[in-house]
Amino acid sequence: MVTLDTSTPAPATNRRHGPHTSRGYRIFRVVNAVVLTGVVLVTLYPFVNIVARSLSDNASIVSGEVNLIPRGFNVAAYKAVMADPMFWTNYRNTLVYTAVATAVSLVLTTCYAYVLSKKHLKGRTALVGIAVFTMFFSGGLIPNYILVTSLGLKNTVWAIALPNAISVFNLLVMKAFFESLPVELEEAAAVDGLNTYGILLRIVLPLSKAVVATMFLFYAVSFWNSWFAAFLYMDRMDLFPVTVYLRNLIAGATDATSTGGGLGSASDVVQSAATIQSVTIVLTVLPILAVYPFIQRYFVSGVMLGAVKG
Amino acid sequence: MVQLSRRHLLFAAGAAAVVSMAGCGDDDADNKDLADNRVGAMDKYGVGDQFKATSAVSFSMLYNNHPNYPFKDDWLFWSELLKRTGVKIEPVAVPLSDYEQKRSVLIGAGDAPFIIPKTYHPQEDAYVSSGAILPVSDYLDLMPHFKDRIEKWNLQPEIDSLRQEDGKFYLLPGLHEKPWQDYTLAVRMDILEELKIAVPTTWDEVYDMLKAMKAAYPNVYPLSDRFGKPNPAGNLLNMLAVSHGLAGAGWAYQHTSWDANAKKFVYTGASDKYKAMLEFLHKLVDEKLLDPETFTQTDDQARQKLASGKSFVISANAQSIVNDYRPDMAKSLPNARMAKIPFPIGPVGPINPASRLENGVMISKKARDSKNFVAMMQFIDWLWYSDAGQEFARWGVEGTTYTKDSSGKRTLTPDVDVLGLNPKGTKHLQKDFGFYNGIFAYGGHLELVQSFFSAEEMEFQKVLNERPNVTVAPPHPLSDTEREQVTLWETPLKDYVYQNTLKFILGQRPLGEWDAYVTELNGKNMGSYVDVVNKAYDRYQQKHG
Repeated sequence: MVTLDTSTPAPATNRRHGPHTSRGYRIFRVVNAVVLTGVVLVTLYPFVNIVARSLSDNASIVSGEVNLIPRGFNVAAYKAVMADPMFWTNYRNTLVYTAVATAVSLVLTTCYAYVLSKKHLKGRTALVGIAVFTMFFSGGLIPNYILVTSLGLKNTVWAIALPNAISVFNLLVMKAFFESLPVELEEAAAVDGLNTYGILLRIVLPLSKAVVATMFLFYAVSFWNSWFAAFLYMDRMDLFPVTVYLRNLIAGATDATSTGGGLGSASDVVQSAATIQSVTIVLTVLPILAVYPFIQRYFVSGVMLGAVKG
Repeated sequence: MVQLSRRHLLFAAGAAAVVSMAGCGDDDADNKDLADNRVGAMDKYGVGDQFKATSAVSFSMLYNNHPNYPFKDDWLFWSELLKRTGVKIEPVAVPLSDYEQKRSVLIGAGDAPFIIPKTYHPQEDAYVSSGAILPVSDYLDLMPHFKDRIEKWNLQPEIDSLRQEDGKFYLLPGLHEKPWQDYTLAVRMDILEELKIAVPTTWDEVYDMLKAMKAAYPNVYPLSDRFGKPNPAGNLLNMLAVSHGLAGAGWAYQHTSWDANAKKFVYTGASDKYKAMLEFLHKLVDEKLLDPETFTQTDDQARQKLASGKSFVISANAQSIVNDYRPDMAKSLPNARMAKIPFPIGPVGPINPASRLENGVMISKKARDSKNFVAMMQFIDWLWYSDAGQEFARWGVEGTTYTKDSSGKRTLTPDVDVLGLNPKGTKHLQKDFGFYNGIFAYGGHLELVQSFFSAEEMEFQKVLNERPNVTVAPPHPLSDTEREQVTLWETPLKDYVYQNTLKFILGQRPLGEWDAYVTELNGKNMGSYVDVVNKAYDRYQQKHG
């Protein structure tokens, strides 16, 4: 309850003396804006450069004329890459692998996190310990390969979706979130006759939209970009995702000249046109770039999830 | 208690049985007995014979997928191979970018295909002790074309350099009749004409040429090199090293070089010859003839400098002239002409520094137990080492992809292009037909190897082919423990040599401190390294003469 003291100065002049209008703060705002604009430009420059290169002709790129604006504008490289059926096969693979792997990961992580969030679970410490242990130690490349192969997962989508389906970091974040939900809600639901699965599906999950969306984003981006699991467990080119296709195009070009001692084997020297490389990069990154602005509000709030809740 | 001790007894008995079984794999005996492995093999197979399997066979093979000509299973290569030899290849596709890693994982997991190509010596050393690959030298009797080539082309010293401590070798290398040196320097020929300088033949003449260029164009660094990642001035240093009689530097750095006079191995990075090399390069940097950014810039940056007229000399091979420099300069410097100069001659005199061995094929040990083993060895012998096989792998099918005239000269059919030789062709020999594939086609007779060369490349090779071959170092194979020890020393030594190489060349460290540098290398186990190698050499000499 505030009593107005009419002897104080009129409210209209309050604005000039508040914490957000001091001179120091205004200077901060200006410097802040300048620094952030600088960061944005530095971050944006490589993207704009790559897009410009993909629309330029090869000679201009090599003579260093292409910076932000395409020179010798042509879409020939786009046509060349999109005419390659293997590119589309691999692109379709990326979509399928990302979809399946993200779905599997989300289901498994949610279940494990929900279970771990229940303090009355017997052996809870052991289960958490097992998960955290895998964050620091792993079997190594060859034992993992032998495991996956002997389970018959080689050359299937499950070789990508199942190993590393649960990221322990994401697991712990989700667990912390579930722990923060008031236990009274679940008790009330149980009184009303819901069993465990009902509580999970009808009470807890609808409340966890933010964290599930965040995890969806983390997993989807990570599976979209992953190439190593596919490279390791797939034997046929038509099973590779587009990231392996891209990697072969780019990394194969720079490595081939310096391996093999250099003396001889000229037929191995690879120099993919800079335009082809740029086009493949743009096409691989495009979907994620397109989706991000719509989900980024979840991403921003999601990073803070699991931190101390008020 | 009684139960426990009985269980213990049973366990011990079981363990003993397993251990004794493990000891039961006697390799030397089944070396000779190939009676069970001859399904599909030809009874009589000799030099000049076409291999044709007597029953349908298929072999798994690791396929190194090159992004320029990605694998297609409808290639004429596969169907024609099946027709001629009766062999179906089951490829395990691996992208070229990570071929070595996947190969390591597959061999380590015991899952490797039978045939493992694209292996560059000494990469096979790592797999020898695990017993995962076959000592192919034991089975040369199954490979008449391979043996024939070694004899005819005097490749015995080169083959010996592949031998391991047990005297056997584990890699079937690509064999060249004559060494094929591809890398050298390329120079703006129009500038040479303008300044009335002759094409240099020695490193001293190269120096004179650079000086003359600098005098005429003072604002330009005449030599700004590429191939600097991950080894700075990879090609330039290597060229100078072999011209001075060392085994290799830059991107082909060899820790030890064979000194034929002293009959022992010396450490490359500490030798007087290496010092002479660095003095030469330091002189170039000092007189502003060599761009200091050579050692850090990317290939693209070097190409840009050349294309914009900011440099005139650069490292090159045949492909880079055709694919990089000429197209780069087409718009910016239409009157410029780039061409390779003959490999510059150094203190050891004219040599052709290339090796006559190439990347080759490893065979998985598991193939030995296959009933088609002999057929497989004969097949490999035919495809990779016979004249007919190599011609097929490189040129394709007569009538479809090439024609042969009465003198035996081959020409591509008008519609087929490769390496830009037939620019109007709509089909590509590699991409559409699967021939001239780096996995199968390399090595062989001089005229076959050169059959795709342009006229200017033939000129370059003619000069080099007249030069004597470089002397091959004698075998000095290390034991497993020695190899492990040496691997621990190698990386710090190489890093230190490279760091100081740069410092000496750029003048950051005066060459007067050379002796101090050698002492520092000794402190990093250089002396012990050289001792191990020399001991291995002596030991091999004693055991195998």
